[in-house]
Amino acid sequence: MNGSKLPGAQDAEKSVLAFLKTGLEKRCFEAVMMSHRVPAGDGYAYVLIKDPALLEGASPLPPVIPVQGAKALSALTRWGPPKETILAVMHPCEIRAAVELFKLKQASLDHIVFLSFDCPGVMPLSDYVKNPGEADRTYAAARRKWESAKMRPLCRICNEFVPAASDLHIGLLGAEEGSAWLFPVSPEGRRIMDSVGLETAVSSDAWEREAAERKTVREKERQEAHQVSRDRVSGPDGLLAAFSSCINCHNCMRVCPVCYCRQCYFDSEAFKLPPENYVERARKKGSLRLPADTLLFHLGRMSHMALSCVSCGTCEDACPMDIKVGQIFSLVADNAQKQLNYLPGRSREDPLPASVYQEEELEGVEKPYVETYSRTGDRDGAGSENQ
Amino acid sequence: MSGAFTPKIIYFMCGWCGSGGSETAAAYHLRYPENVLPFRVNCTGSLSSVHILRALIEGADGVIISGCHPGDCHYEDGNFRARRRVATVKSILNTLGLGEERIWFRYVAHGEGKRFVDTAEEFNDLIAELGPNPLKERNDT
Repeated sequence: MNGSKLPGAQDAEKSVLAFLKTGLEKRCFEAVMMSHRVPAGDGYAYVLIKDPALLEGASPLPPVIPVQGAKALSALTRWGPPKETILAVMHPCEIRAAVELFKLKQASLDHIVFLSFDCPGVMPLSDYVKNPGEADRTYAAARRKWESAKMRPLCRICNEFVPAASDLHIGLLGAEEGSAWLFPVSPEGRRIMDSVGLETAVSSDAWEREAAERKTVREKERQEAHQVSRDRVSGPDGLLAAFSSCINCHNCMRVCPVCYCRQCYFDSEAFKLPPENYVERARKKGSLRLPADTLLFHLGRMSHMALSCVSCGTCEDACPMDIKVGQIFSLVADNAQKQLNYLPGRSREDPLPASVYQEEELEGVEKPYVETYSRTGDRDGAGSENQ
Repeated sequence: MSGAFTPKIIYFMCGWCGSGGSETAAAYHLRYPENVLPFRVNCTGSLSSVHILRALIEGADGVIISGCHPGDCHYEDGNFRARRRVATVKSILNTLGLGEERIWFRYVAHGEGKRFVDTAEEFNDLIAELGPNPLKERNDT
């Protein structure tokens, strides 16, 4: 894969913005959806930019993910695809979630071109809001050196910082300080680069090598971190301790990009029961925590979305009680996805694992039948013949 | 079997084969433990993962799910979908150390009365050996 070195050597972000500006001016795409610092200066939001002049304040590498980009894209395309090409600049995990939402028929990807970048991770939202100005500077420095200590715990162990399903990719790994490469990943990406007037002459070898090395390291770190989480939450004691401070705000569900249901089962009337039910359960258990079913909410949500979870960590950012919900979900999701050999957001073509099946698969799940179970012969009236 | 403990077992069976198996068992006067509580669902493919989880949190020591054999599903592929769903629930419980061995998935055909009672009996013995489900005793769920 050959790419192009973006002109301008001071700041990678500025080079990217210059490319976007040219593209918008030449109408290679009609609008750009990307993070933009809010006017108050204390946060970032996704905006749809039509006026090239307004790209000035946009941020291709924002220090936080306040709203998951897939949700922003879903809001934009829920009624169908836009008529003109829109370029969406998003973190790799956001693009992967958008691909999942596309498969779940909650977003349209026609006329959407994804621009991704080597993601250095983002800061925890709670750290950022304490002192946004300071955090912006801290993040800029940490991002340049690929220091992960300031990033969110899930970003530190992310091994999908280079997405497979984007159209254009900005390579930062292995590039000189302040410079960036632009690689076309899909034919659509190549068309845009051609129309902007960027030649694709630079080899991507150096970048690919660096990215592959980092991925290997990250995969090891991910496994180690997951083992730590697993040791911590394993068993009823560990798990209930991990979720004990949950205040039932359901923020984790509301911000989750792949929890797309307009009516969540756990918010529905079907989940609310008459008082007798709760009293009976209190009688059985001795007492009952209210509102009830906190653990069922979390486990149920896992069973609903684990196969599409992209480990983006938005749930953890949204938790007011600092529950490590993203790390637990990421651990659970990784294992559930491995079992069905599915990586969410890997491609638009992979079918959702819950929507398909193989006739021969999952051998361990069905319990093999022992023809004559030892105790059956003892029962009254039980014929020993196989009926 | 350990003395006092009688497990509570929920047996989800599909309306076509699984519960047909229980009818055949009845016709042949085959018995299964009385602490195994049968629940008919239309198709195992329509059984929500939440029902399995809720059973385990709210008092069951084990859950069995029986649907039609591969190729026999009344709705073509409900049993295959159920297998994927049960696999996912088992994977979640396994990762979190909540006892995935307390969930069994086994195909039982309409005529397999003996297979039905054997499954109930065998699972009952297994759970009796495993002891009470620790999750059901927690009041802070």
